[in-house]
Amino acid sequence: MEPFLRLENISKRFGGVVALDGVSLAISQGEILGLVGENGSGKSTLIKILSGVYTPDQGNIWIDDRCYKFLTPSQAIKEGISVIYQDFALCPNLTVAENIAIARLVFSNRKIVNWQDMYRIAAKSLFLLTDHIPLDVEVGTLSTADRQIVAIARALLENARLIVMDEPTTALTEKEITTLFSLLKKLRDQGITIIFVSHKLQEVKQLCDHIVVLRDGRKTFDGSALEVDVPTLQLYMTGRVIETLTTNQAEASTSQPSLLKVVDLSLPPYFYDISFELKRGEVIGITGLLGSGRRELALTLVGIMRPRSGAMYIEGTRKKIQNIWQAWQNGIAYVPEDRITEGLHLPCSITANVILPGVAGGFIRRKFFRYSQYKNIGEEWRSKLNIKAPTAETPVKNLSGGNQQRVVLAKCLATQPKIIVMNCPTMGIDVSSKAEIHRMIRSLSAQGLGIVLITDDIPELLQTCDKIIVLKKGRIAYETTPKLVTEEKLYEVLLQE
Amino acid sequence: MNSMKIKKIISKHETVLLVAILLIGGIIGIFNRAFLSLATAFEILRGSVPYALMGLGVLPVLLLGEVDISFVGIAAVTSLVSHTLLRSWGYAGGLSAYVGLAIPMGAVLAVIVGLISGYVKLPVFAVSLGFWLMLYGFNLFFISPEMRFDLPSGLVGFYGEFLFRIRDPVVGETGLHIGVIYVLLCAVLIWAFLRYTVYGRGFYIAGGNREVALRTGYNIITLLCVAMAINGSLAAFAGVLQCAYKRFFDPILFRGTELFVIAANVIGGVSITGGRGSVISVLLGVIFIQLVTRGLIYLGVAPTWQQLTVGIMLTVFFVITGLRGKVYHELIRKLAMGRKGQSQNEKTR
Repeated sequence: MEPFLRLENISKRFGGVVALDGVSLAISQGEILGLVGENGSGKSTLIKILSGVYTPDQGNIWIDDRCYKFLTPSQAIKEGISVIYQDFALCPNLTVAENIAIARLVFSNRKIVNWQDMYRIAAKSLFLLTDHIPLDVEVGTLSTADRQIVAIARALLENARLIVMDEPTTALTEKEITTLFSLLKKLRDQGITIIFVSHKLQEVKQLCDHIVVLRDGRKTFDGSALEVDVPTLQLYMTGRVIETLTTNQAEASTSQPSLLKVVDLSLPPYFYDISFELKRGEVIGITGLLGSGRRELALTLVGIMRPRSGAMYIEGTRKKIQNIWQAWQNGIAYVPEDRITEGLHLPCSITANVILPGVAGGFIRRKFFRYSQYKNIGEEWRSKLNIKAPTAETPVKNLSGGNQQRVVLAKCLATQPKIIVMNCPTMGIDVSSKAEIHRMIRSLSAQGLGIVLITDDIPELLQTCDKIIVLKKGRIAYETTPKLVTEEKLYEVLLQE
Repeated sequence: MNSMKIKKIISKHETVLLVAILLIGGIIGIFNRAFLSLATAFEILRGSVPYALMGLGVLPVLLLGEVDISFVGIAAVTSLVSHTLLRSWGYAGGLSAYVGLAIPMGAVLAVIVGLISGYVKLPVFAVSLGFWLMLYGFNLFFISPEMRFDLPSGLVGFYGEFLFRIRDPVVGETGLHIGVIYVLLCAVLIWAFLRYTVYGRGFYIAGGNREVALRTGYNIITLLCVAMAINGSLAAFAGVLQCAYKRFFDPILFRGTELFVIAANVIGGVSITGGRGSVISVLLGVIFIQLVTRGLIYLGVAPTWQQLTVGIMLTVFFVITGLRGKVYHELIRKLAMGRKGQSQNEKTR
């Protein structure tokens, strides 16, 4: 097929940092290109050059047979390039129809809004994709997956020939991902080109026709998806082989004393009759689809939500945990789902973040608080957890996702917990940081901590846990150990009605 | 399909407010029969006119997610300045010259607030705090520290310009004031602008997600200036009308009522964070506040107790509307659980 978009020798630097170094690639019409790379590999820079946000320092952009030195945002739209960012850029207060069609009205230079027309235009675009989203509801009430479809519908209305999707599967459940993939394949068959930006290699391999891997601003792989497997991609992406943890799951954990025992814990309508026992040095993995109650269960274990009935025993004594301070005092720490909004104070330094639970929870008992006394605590954790930052005074917002997650962990560990509840700790971070966090989880459990790991990631469950619990509609639907189960079996259990 | 539509209308905030207005009116009527008369209704409407105009003016600003309080100062300055100018020119006519002078002045003043906030990237609220003080200070220092009772002959009879007259046993001859028509005219114009023009939709888009507005090609600063121009013009109009009603020009006109106007908007369902609200919300909100304050007089509540009572009623109203959604969903969930048993309740969430 004729390539309709060609990038020739594109370079871009920011100050002294080279973001892209002579990247060339060609995309034919009607293919799905997987653009893969770790954080900081230049993926986002490349997208922003395509959408006209950045101007490349060097190189040409060929679209059909027109050559551009750079694109402006309006040229990009005119050439049919549409980027769907992770937040979808929708107005939550407006109806689905208006969100889809308003840009069309503005660009066609209309002055008057004809609402019937608006609904007709929106319907035509949306019904190509799905028929279960009503046009007259507010976008704010839709699920993430539905909002994504609305964003795609809007892109189609802008006569998009190339749709760039930036990490589109991050907030979706397995089922929604499957739906999205069949949708994207349908669009491809209609001649629309898609660039699928992701660092989930499994998904890229499954969906894409053509894969390009970037590392440190250079292209390290460019070829058909058929001729490459996931470990090779990982090698191109990280430049090194990442050994996956397979063994060292605690054999003798049955003889260990119990840390946390949960008996018939219920909180309608989220979960019912949950019982399990966590022993010293054990990692229990809990999974389930969104809405299965796994999130609420985690919040209940750490005292943010309160159970309606049931009991919790910590080291054999019955405890009522009413709030997060009591959880800390009983040695339970929590790694929240969203580190940006729930886990960290982004503008503050590493030290400030790490000592926060101590200050707030009263572990540091002082009437007056002198920051300088605690500087060494931050330094200590920075070197202990190998956080890549010049000093412990670096604001957390300047760190990469993986390093931010380490700060969250440091913050938890600083309360000297016996039990850690982790809610999706590896969501949205790159492969090598992920492997490091898995290693950390194992080493913590080897030190005798008990860990409850809530995750979406099936391979992660199999690699790091001693016991796996699958929640469905708030009940334990399946319990197993990694030795007795395969990835396929777990997916099957998860998705069957 | 039809029942869906009915359900939608019933669940709307505006419908709830309308019911509340009728209910409160009815309750006051039980205690004081004189309250339930056309004369009272006309009086409430006439009293609502200036506040409704200001409320409509501040609506586009609130839609953008900004809060302005300088409009009352603008009303005070523009009315007093145009009065002083017109008197010094020996003007003896009616409202038209006042309006013609005050509205452009108001628009310019408000746009200045908008431009400062837009280019210096400050919230409108911060700039308008400064302007609020500055405008009243300007009035008292440069124009006149005293009230001006020297109305031109053409303006003296304005408070009694009725569309039609009725005789009322209690208050004598009264009628529907012509100001109501001005409000309706402005309301229809703003409604059409916000709902049926592509530019007007920009206020809702920018209020919902600023990024989308930029991407779609709206200029945020221009939007803000247009909103402020509407705000300033209507405030100036309201100022002149209010002075003509009261038959004197006041250097501290409307001082302290800016929060009533914003409260009326919020009661009507305009979101203080932007993106939600309509002309009907504003009108109902203003009438609600007027009804409550006037109703208290009819109930014989001493003036000293009025602010406290209005404050309590407003808080209760906000709490009820805030809880409404939650209580409603809880009720539905319980009903469904009772019927289908616990295992089904995942679906009802």
